[in-house]
Amino acid sequence: MSGINVTIDEKNCVANSGETILSVAKRYDIEIPTLCFHPSVSVYGACGICLVEVEGNKKLLRACATEVWEGMKVHTKSERAEKARKLALELLFSDHTGDCLPPCMNACPAHTHCQGYVGLIADGEYDAALALIKEQIPLPASIGRVCPHPCESACRRKLAEEAISIAALKSFAADWDLGREESYLPEKQPPTGKRVAIVGAGPAGLTMAYYLAIKGHSADIYEAMPQAGGMLRYGIPEYRLPKAVLDREIALIEKLGVKIRCNVKIGKDIAFESLEKEYDAVYLAIGAWQSAPLRCEGEQAEGVLGGIDFLRRAVQDQPTSMGRRVAVIGGGNTAMDACRTAIRLGAEKVYVLYRRTRSEMPAEDIEIVEAMEEGVEFKFLVAPIRILTENGHVAGIELQQMELGEPDDSGRRRPVPVEGKTETLALDTVIAAIGQKVVAEGLPVKLTDWNTIAADAHTYLTDRKGVFAGGDGINRGPGIAVESIGHARECADIIDSYLNGDLIPRTEQYLVKRDDLTAADFADREKLPRVRRNVIPPEIRRTNFEEVASTITEEQAKAEAARCLECGCADYGECDLIKYGQRFDVRPDRFGAEPHRRNGADDMVNVHHNPDKCVLCGLCVRYSDEHGDGSLGLIGRGFDTQVRPDYSLSKPEDHLEELKGCAEICPTGALIEKTTGKKVNTVMRRQFVK
Amino acid sequence: MRFTVGMGSCGIAAGAQKTLDALKKALGERSSDIPVGQVGCIGMCFNEPIVEVITDTEHYYYSKVNEEMAEEIVASHLKDGLPAESYLIPEEDMDFLKKQTRVALRNCGVIDPEKIESYRERGGYEAITKVLKTMSPAEVVGEVKISGLRGRGGAGFPTWFKWDAAAKSEGDEKYVICNADEGDPGAFMDRSLLEGDPHAVMEGMMIAAYAIGAAKGVFYVRAEYPLAIKRLEKAIKQARTAGFLGEHILGTDFSFDLEIKAGAGAFVCGEETALIASLEGERGMPRLKPPFPAQKGYWQKPSNINNVETYGNIPWIFREGGEAFAAMGTENSKGTKVFALAGKVKRGGLAEVPMGMTIREIIYDIGGGIKDDKALKGVQMGGPSGGCIPERLIDTPVDYENITAAGAIMGSGGMIVMDETTCMVDMARFFMDFTQKESCGKCVHCRIGTKRMLEILDRIVNGEGRDGDIELLEELGRGIIDGSLCGLGQSAPNPALSTIAQFREEYDAHIRDKKCPAHKCKPLLTYAIDPEKCTGCNACAKKCPAEAIHGEKKKPHEIDAAFCVKCGSCESACRFGAVLVD
Ligand SMILES: Cc1cc2nc3c(=O)[nH]c(=O)nc-3n(C[C@H](O)[C@H](O)[C@H](O)COP(=O)(O)O)c2cc1C
Ligand code: SF4
Ligand code: SF4
Ligand code: SF4
Repeated sequence: MSGINVTIDEKNCVANSGETILSVAKRYDIEIPTLCFHPSVSVYGACGICLVEVEGNKKLLRACATEVWEGMKVHTKSERAEKARKLALELLFSDHTGDCLPPCMNACPAHTHCQGYVGLIADGEYDAALALIKEQIPLPASIGRVCPHPCESACRRKLAEEAISIAALKSFAADWDLGREESYLPEKQPPTGKRVAIVGAGPAGLTMAYYLAIKGHSADIYEAMPQAGGMLRYGIPEYRLPKAVLDREIALIEKLGVKIRCNVKIGKDIAFESLEKEYDAVYLAIGAWQSAPLRCEGEQAEGVLGGIDFLRRAVQDQPTSMGRRVAVIGGGNTAMDACRTAIRLGAEKVYVLYRRTRSEMPAEDIEIVEAMEEGVEFKFLVAPIRILTENGHVAGIELQQMELGEPDDSGRRRPVPVEGKTETLALDTVIAAIGQKVVAEGLPVKLTDWNTIAADAHTYLTDRKGVFAGGDGINRGPGIAVESIGHARECADIIDSYLNGDLIPRTEQYLVKRDDLTAADFADREKLPRVRRNVIPPEIRRTNFEEVASTITEEQAKAEAARCLECGCADYGECDLIKYGQRFDVRPDRFGAEPHRRNGADDMVNVHHNPDKCVLCGLCVRYSDEHGDGSLGLIGRGFDTQVRPDYSLSKPEDHLEELKGCAEICPTGALIEKTTGKKVNTVMRRQFVK
Repeated sequence: MRFTVGMGSCGIAAGAQKTLDALKKALGERSSDIPVGQVGCIGMCFNEPIVEVITDTEHYYYSKVNEEMAEEIVASHLKDGLPAESYLIPEEDMDFLKKQTRVALRNCGVIDPEKIESYRERGGYEAITKVLKTMSPAEVVGEVKISGLRGRGGAGFPTWFKWDAAAKSEGDEKYVICNADEGDPGAFMDRSLLEGDPHAVMEGMMIAAYAIGAAKGVFYVRAEYPLAIKRLEKAIKQARTAGFLGEHILGTDFSFDLEIKAGAGAFVCGEETALIASLEGERGMPRLKPPFPAQKGYWQKPSNINNVETYGNIPWIFREGGEAFAAMGTENSKGTKVFALAGKVKRGGLAEVPMGMTIREIIYDIGGGIKDDKALKGVQMGGPSGGCIPERLIDTPVDYENITAAGAIMGSGGMIVMDETTCMVDMARFFMDFTQKESCGKCVHCRIGTKRMLEILDRIVNGEGRDGDIELLEELGRGIIDGSLCGLGQSAPNPALSTIAQFREEYDAHIRDKKCPAHKCKPLLTYAIDPEKCTGCNACAKKCPAEAIHGEKKKPHEIDAAFCVKCGSCESACRFGAVLVD
């Protein structure tokens, strides 16, 4: 018998009689998305995602169930079919509750695989954990020490009692690696012959170099300072990040073949244009190296220092010109670094002056606590009116008493002066730690209104061809180190694509996230306090620059990691639903759907069932009917339909193979085979749409 | 002389059993020669319990007959030989019956449904006798084709075509199935027919069975229809005894028997493939078509499924001839159709009319016009799968094509009359609530899409509608139609889509102005007191459960909107019409 001729998306195909559109399309490499079809079970036709348009047919047809006929003309991507398909996906997502990726990872500006490496540490697989961290962060020992860890702020375990010490676990794994004879080095791809110049050896520049090197490109960093590391070296005091740790991490990057040329300032020692000429691409990671001015009378006086200038001098063992009585103005981490450094340098009296209250301070709480322990005096709700001088030198400060008024744009309550209430302090030194500014001198790129480098939000491109920028020096200006690393990590992929001839911009991937959980959902969890790092007592540590907190022990690390709730979906890497959701760029929020929480997740011996993630494709039910004893069935009707086990015929233990098969065929994370005793450890790689 | 009492579910609900007992008691010893019979529903539900007195020359209909009236009626007829005038159904109400053409309902309210003789007196079982004795199966299909009969279950598919397909399907066993699941809210034509004339439906099934070569038939009856099931059971027994069911019927080679299955209680089980799944003991979920039931139906055997009313027409067609049936109706819609007339109409009930009668004639001539003489706004046809026909289109003739063109569907015959106090958004919400709950849960578009539409309609009637909600409803509606497997999903958006098409400004008023023009949606109403009309009698304040009304005695009162719970108590309490609702 001769074949049936059909065209699918203008392609001529020859089909067998009785063959469905879906099957013919597959043979001809035309992908028709589907969620409820699987070759090993009977056709069901529920999901409505394989809908196609067939010429001459008023209705859309289900490709999985429609047999071809002679002369059939199928359009799998017609506007109407794609609309119906996307709507089905959006409807499914509007009724889907869960977290594709864990909150910690979503919160990390570098999208570090927190859950993954925490899990691997729990399982004792430190090398795998380290390698996983290094997929996103090339300086984990340093970042683990200095990062204000937004991941921990987002950690779900907080609802049970306290967040996982994700950052401490990161330094643990990284220190473990640095302590090995042969530290981890990623595999490099064969050389591409492409060369990239990187301006600045801070976190962004180093990150860029690391990932470009892995991709086989050669990366040269030009650094104006005597040593690499950027603010990690010159802004963070030794007692928080021993430079020996940073040195070792930078050395590993150099071992990958990255060249770092220090003491070279682009725009002064070497012209920017010559970089452009010599290299295939340029990455500007110049940072923000100027202290923001106080903008009050007397700030020109001798003895008024910039926060980061002060810290830089301290790191370099240069004289700081600090006197006996010091006031640090500001409430961020730089202010904390400055006041604690001042103590260590021998100041007799150190104040921190902040215009709001402690709870508005942007600095990390532990930093404030430790500074207080070390003897720093905090004065809240004060703003400098003028710096009092004697012979051109700081003699004191006049302060305006403030109170909190209405909330401002940032949501924090705005400090407003209390009429007539002022005070003065006698001082020798004022350190202004109220922000940093970008100085992009000598670089012929377009700047923003804030004098930062203007970089495109999706490509990180500047206004010059092949010139990209990232880190503290762009757009909204300085942030935290891991943000710079995140920029650079993303931009490394973009530059790689650019070097390969086809620039792929950054895309915001659709992810399912939930925000409906409360402490009540974790009320029956055993309370397990988080690990505390060993800290040198204040009276000792205030006299030296030793690292204050020590790395946690292996035992501590394992116990801490075991607390992780594994919030991210174990199926993310394989889930068909999210794959399509991202491909079709769904926007399910537009329906304004009411939340729908089904009760009754159940454990079926070897399989975990989460009805909030079920798309009711019926694959598991058909699988259990057709390849097992029918242990799974549907209960309820309509919107409240659920898959439920039915063991009325025999014991659950007798269906292990069947249930395992059901979990395997499930296209989502609704049915998942249990891992015994181990963390799920799913490596939740961000998928990039092609 | 004899008496009959309307003993359909509607009559019994109105107290017909007591009426019947009272009649018998009043007749006393005369009941031996003056029989009191029960009949099914005659369709004038607004007048139940109905008693008919049949003398040699006249038929007298009495409405809403209670026990005392029953006594008086008996007395009047026996003593004076005259009717009890004051209890007679008013002449104009009789228009309800006079303007109808009864084919399917020809025996309803006329015969005693529990007596096969009563059916046979009116020509019952003549059709099957004629068919078995004189016609080949192919000729039977041919006659149905000539009649032009289309399925009365909703889709209006030509009946002969399905019979033909089932007849031509290979198979040693075949089935005929009667779909009596009747799940549309407000529909009761199938119930009435089964309760009032069960044998006719059975006879129709026998003829179908003969035509396609089936030996078994199944009634799938809604479990909520116990009376219909009881009467069917009786009728089947009687037919077996009379030799119309069983082996070698009327001495021919044709053998056939019937059984009854009670439905699973879900609307979607009326969809033919879900019905089959349910008959087979599976979850009532639609299956993919093809294969159609005529190819692989019940137990994978060729099966013919028709609606109750479809079968009910068949005996008539074979007695009077297909041509006679085709002589009624319009070009593509032949014969008559039973409608369940309800809503804001003076006379509601079951009405059978020839296809092609206009909606206006049905509402005004049969239904007697709009209740309280309010203004007609439109007609909802086809229940939860149907749509709204606005007032300006009420001269549309009812047939499959014209109703569809007017934006609704014939469906199974639901016809809800709406006046100015009906809120279209609220009505769409009502039907969406129904279909959303009845979705079987298989298809994504239907299962979740109807829920989303309902949520949107809910927020609109609650005054929380957002810009873009109408467009979202339209998008969802079209998507659900495109993406759903069965008729439930494919038609569920119709009530919303058709009201948007015809009454968009009402949606706008709800969303944009936060007003319900029909004053129906509570959260959108505001209550206020007209100081001109208020006498300060304080009646409203006493009734207000929220203590939202204040005012000094004999001075105009005021309603504090912040406390008003919009219950409307004040409006009904005020004797001066001073409460203003907007
Ligand atoms: C959701 C749904 C419910 C239905 N309910 C009924 C019903 O209650 N009674 C009925 O006769 N047909 C119903 N139908 C139509 C049947 O699927 C089928 O078309 C009908 O029984 C065929 O009979 P007919 O050709 O005589 O109309 C329903 C269809 C759908 C999609
Ligand atoms: S509990 Fe684990 S997975 Fe969840 S947010 Fe915290 S670290 Fe991440
Ligand atoms: S649990 Fe079953 S029905 Fe639900 S998504 Fe998984 S396979 Fe489909
Ligand atoms: S359209 Fe609705 S009722 Fe019909 S099969 Fe699909 S989910 Fe079930």
